[in-house]
Amino acid sequence: MDPANLHLLSLGANNLPYRLPIHPNLVHLSIGLFVIAIAFDIAGAVFPLEKRLFRFLALPVTRAGFHDVGWYNLLACCLISFFTVAAGFVEMQLAVPLPGVVSSFGMGSTATMLWHGAGGVALLFAIVAMTLWRGFQRFDWRSEMGRQVQWSYLLTGVLLLGAMAWHGTLGAQLAVEFGVHVTANQLLAAGADLNEALP
Amino acid sequence: MFELLPQLNDRNLPWMDTIHPIVVHFVIAMALIAFVFDLIGVWAKRPALFEVSFWNLLFATAAIFIAIIFGQVEAGLANPYGASRDILNLHSTLGWVLAGVLSVLTGWRYVIRSRDPLKLPLAFLGAGALLSALVVVQVILGNQLIWVYGLHTVRVVEAMRAGQV
Repeated sequence: MDPANLHLLSLGANNLPYRLPIHPNLVHLSIGLFVIAIAFDIAGAVFPLEKRLFRFLALPVTRAGFHDVGWYNLLACCLISFFTVAAGFVEMQLAVPLPGVVSSFGMGSTATMLWHGAGGVALLFAIVAMTLWRGFQRFDWRSEMGRQVQWSYLLTGVLLLGAMAWHGTLGAQLAVEFGVHVTANQLLAAGADLNEALP
Repeated sequence: MFELLPQLNDRNLPWMDTIHPIVVHFVIAMALIAFVFDLIGVWAKRPALFEVSFWNLLFATAAIFIAIIFGQVEAGLANPYGASRDILNLHSTLGWVLAGVLSVLTGWRYVIRSRDPLKLPLAFLGAGALLSALVVVQVILGNQLIWVYGLHTVRVVEAMRAGQV
């Protein structure tokens, strides 16, 4: 964005036109839904092993029910994650990281934001691909089978959980270490006294 | 005795990063999506979604107690200042309230599911709406603590240790 036009947004001390950033809140939904989707598909896949446990607990469960959680949560994750990434890009353009900081991963702010931006797009593609893969398994390839997912799908899902954890840590560093969109951090960097600026 | 406790890092934490905001992914996402799936399930007559909602609700309930445990420890190390003291108190209180509300709703939901898993009384939709509203308020309070007051961020902890806050 042309810096000359930034005043049109009337940015606050956090460099956003609003008080609380949107991207980190949508992230709750993307991560939560993806993790639980994979977890329940794993539970559905190893269902014969845990069946006795549920009988012992007198908790009526069905394998199809577990796979329903795996499918619908992933579908919801896929739809929401487009907004998560979109909000992330808007807020990244307005990011003003604290100068001179090196993260606990040994990276500067530009490298961290580039990785987090590129990683976010890659993860969105991965989520969309997983949703398509999951859909084909559910409605076509394995629609007649008790175990609705392939082992390769679950393995890919678990690997993606690891990628997501790394990616989320980068995002957390942008706030906690680089102070991006954190009002108190930006005020301190501007030399303000928090006792007066944030009473 | 204090030397037995782990050292606090540049975030004023005994561990790498705040854990509470990670655990709350599962409370926020699962509680809100349970309500959304219930709405779609009723309107589009897809009872399979009620089962999905039930499990999401159960997970939200399990997760909120873990969120509270880490939340209490991290709140104790947060050194809130100014108005964030009141916000943190409210956030803590509402967190415990939400644990109660989620537990009761999950129990109620279990009974509903045991009787007829294909039907959902409208009253539960009302309860789900109330739960969602409480979750949104709780999220906004938590957001203030990190995004406005920067609790547990490196720069604010630095300022605190320098006696500037």
